[in-house]
Amino acid sequence: MGAVDSAGESKSHARGQKKHKKKRRLRIRIDMTPMVDVAFLLLTFFMLTTYFSKPQTMELNLPPDEKSQVEVAESNLLTIRVAQDGEVFWNVGTDPANRIEMKELRKFLKDKSKENPKLITLLKIHREGKYEMLVKAMDEVALAKVERFSLAQMNLYDERQIQKARGS
Amino acid sequence: MPKIKKKRLGYALDMTPMVDVAMLLLTFFMMTTQFRPEEATAIEMPSSHAPYKMPETNIMTVTVNKIGDIYFGVDAQSLRAQLFGEANKLKSNMQVTPDQLRQLLVQARISNPKLVTLVKGDKTAPYGPVEDVLNILRQVKITRFNLVTELEKN
Repeated sequence: MGAVDSAGESKSHARGQKKHKKKRRLRIRIDMTPMVDVAFLLLTFFMLTTYFSKPQTMELNLPPDEKSQVEVAESNLLTIRVAQDGEVFWNVGTDPANRIEMKELRKFLKDKSKENPKLITLLKIHREGKYEMLVKAMDEVALAKVERFSLAQMNLYDERQIQKARGS
Repeated sequence: MPKIKKKRLGYALDMTPMVDVAMLLLTFFMMTTQFRPEEATAIEMPSSHAPYKMPETNIMTVTVNKIGDIYFGVDAQSLRAQLFGEANKLKSNMQVTPDQLRQLLVQARISNPKLVTLVKGDKTAPYGPVEDVLNILRQVKITRFNLVTELEKN
């Protein structure tokens, strides 16, 4: 396998009359097998360790300061709250909160924004929740093509709203 | 006249083209391989449908691991030497406190204004520290940043 023969093996009969010339014609045979073996080993190694998939990123824009407040009509404000166990609640303005499944969120947001194009979505996640919930909820918001969206801190009022919705 | 020799079937295969191709592939994979830099902490990323690819250069990464510890890192070694000291320039990430993070973010942005901020959180990281990180970013006027996620299948 993969052996290299030096040239002149076949010519040696035709030209090999003189003795001093015959002496110089050493047959060089390099056995390439170990090299090829190693090459294949390395090839396999690099093929297996290479990864082509780069992580994706999700772009997020936040207002620079908490002080810069924008006045929004209550009826245009949709608040989505995620409790620490991952349950999702929504309400418009100061209405009581309602439970919703994470899976239904996309369709729900689509319908809501169609109903009211001026709607602003505010996402609040409980501090003891998981980071994954933020990404999931933001992903749903992005998939529903809701552009007017912001993140806010959850306060005691929000927690009380969640408790109330759970109680009912 | 000698007997007609039965022609022996040659089973010597010319391996040269195969070896050539193998070598070519080997070279390709060796050139394109980038070894994953040693991470200070193991992160399992959440998945999303976000379509943007992660940038490779001019990045600074704020990592939040499973238990809510915050790590900070930049990609350029020279900047790392400047921020963390010469001894730590080979470490891609350093654990920081929220106050240190605030200072480091400002320093890094002064040294290289083109830096893109990436927030890399573990799937199961508590949201509290992540929220703190987001607030710090807001305070140091980094209003545009990226959350690193894995691409969700389907």
